[in-house]
Amino acid sequence: MAHLSEGTLRRLVDDPDALTGSDRRHYMDCAACQARNQGMADDAHAAATLLSAPELQLDVANAFKHVQSAPAAKPRFGFSLPILRPATQQMFAVGAAAVVVALAITAFANILPLFQPKTVQPVPVTFADLQALEQLSAYGTLTWSTQPKPQIVLTAADAKTISGLDVPVVSKLPAGVSSTVTYAAMPGAVAVFTFDAKKAADAAAATGKSLPKLPSGMDGAKLTVTVGPAVVEVFGDMNAASGTGSSSQNINLPQLIVAKSAVPVVTSTQVTAKQLEDYILSMPGLSPELAAAVRSVGDPSTTLPIPVPVEYATSSKVSINGDTGVALGDNTGLGSGVIWIHKTNVFVVAGSLKQSAAVDIARNLK
Amino acid sequence: MKSRDEAFEALFKSEYARVAGIANRVLADPQEAEDVAQEVFISFHRLHSASAQFAPAWLHRAAAHTALNRVRGRKRRERRELTQAPEEASRTVDPQRMLEVGEDRRMVRAALARLAPKPAAVLVLRASGLSYAEVAQAIGVGTGQIGTLLRRAEAALRKEVTRGTSI
Repeated sequence: MAHLSEGTLRRLVDDPDALTGSDRRHYMDCAACQARNQGMADDAHAAATLLSAPELQLDVANAFKHVQSAPAAKPRFGFSLPILRPATQQMFAVGAAAVVVALAITAFANILPLFQPKTVQPVPVTFADLQALEQLSAYGTLTWSTQPKPQIVLTAADAKTISGLDVPVVSKLPAGVSSTVTYAAMPGAVAVFTFDAKKAADAAAATGKSLPKLPSGMDGAKLTVTVGPAVVEVFGDMNAASGTGSSSQNINLPQLIVAKSAVPVVTSTQVTAKQLEDYILSMPGLSPELAAAVRSVGDPSTTLPIPVPVEYATSSKVSINGDTGVALGDNTGLGSGVIWIHKTNVFVVAGSLKQSAAVDIARNLK
Repeated sequence: MKSRDEAFEALFKSEYARVAGIANRVLADPQEAEDVAQEVFISFHRLHSASAQFAPAWLHRAAAHTALNRVRGRKRRERRELTQAPEEASRTVDPQRMLEVGEDRRMVRAALARLAPKPAAVLVLRASGLSYAEVAQAIGVGTGQIGTLLRRAEAALRKEVTRGTSI
């Protein structure tokens, strides 16, 4: 019989009854396992001693009062389409759009560095919903502390140099997709969005719309958004990608896009993630269905909601080499795609493809 | 059905001591540990429902990482202390002797903070009295992996402490 595993022997240190019958018989007869176990017990004892700490004298009631009275400050959560919009140089926008759309309604999805999202979940949206979200841009001022610098380059090596990311390699292109690749890459960028009550009021007055009042504390609140780095590979005829303005309806997918981006992180001051979520979900024009879907996403710290435009696409969950992804199959013949998170990166494969082809490419990315 | 505030108060009362204990295990500083524990609860309350099933695991993990981040934040100071450590400091790990010198407690924490986040968290959570299952939930792995992770983390800590005392 093979010697007992490291984990089994270590557990034995904490629980002398942890061994099953055959393991116990082996252990009793095996001097090597006993010696290893003794070494582990010594290390465990040393660690426990080293990590001893002074005694705590807690006043739980007082601590609770202190926590209750804490002002809002610095929660973290994920973001979001409107803030990325200034980065949309035409070429980059084509590829980035697929990534950006995936992040569009995650302003409320707190992404603590400790709990970066590990999976994705579809949330049905209408384009009216997305347009309603765009109104957020009227609520403040966007400045970039680190400007987004998307660059178009000719080689994957150059894209890697710029972004620091390994560029995904498509194992086998589907028939009919050009092998001509254009790369775009962007280092990480940091934007600061400052909520401005006066600007919001002016914007509302100018359009004659009634916009929801900014919650207390939101005026002057700052969101610091870190996006990217990102790399995008665009296969095929770039001329087909024209018309990528601010409306998502104009996006004309090239033959194939493969994008990879670090999961975004946002920190904020003065306003909590809950306040922001409630505020965004109260925006006029946002459908009750979307609000309900967003609230049903579950634990937002580990789930990245993927907005699925219901007029144009249907979604289904797929497994991409063990990671759960969302496959978008469009109903108009425009294209399909799949988005998933692997470790700390968001991946997108999209294009004028059958959904099965997009999923196949995704599963075979190197 | 409990209100949001009532649920949070119940969670606070049931978990505060353990969360503060985890932070204290990392920081070896009761006052700072309480600061960390309260910071963790404030963050949790802003972001999540207290009735969420993952609440205790979230709090435990956040306490460990937040406290470890505080130690890492002291990095420069710790590095200076390490370089100023008396040359006669022991080159081998003698736990009892380590604790005889007050500054060595800080050195141990600096060594802990140099470990990768997961092993450091496993060590701290287990040393704080969490069961294998609770540690597994907090760091998001299967219970069966904890023995191996713990063993490797303890060996890594011994190595780091030895390295620290050899500088």
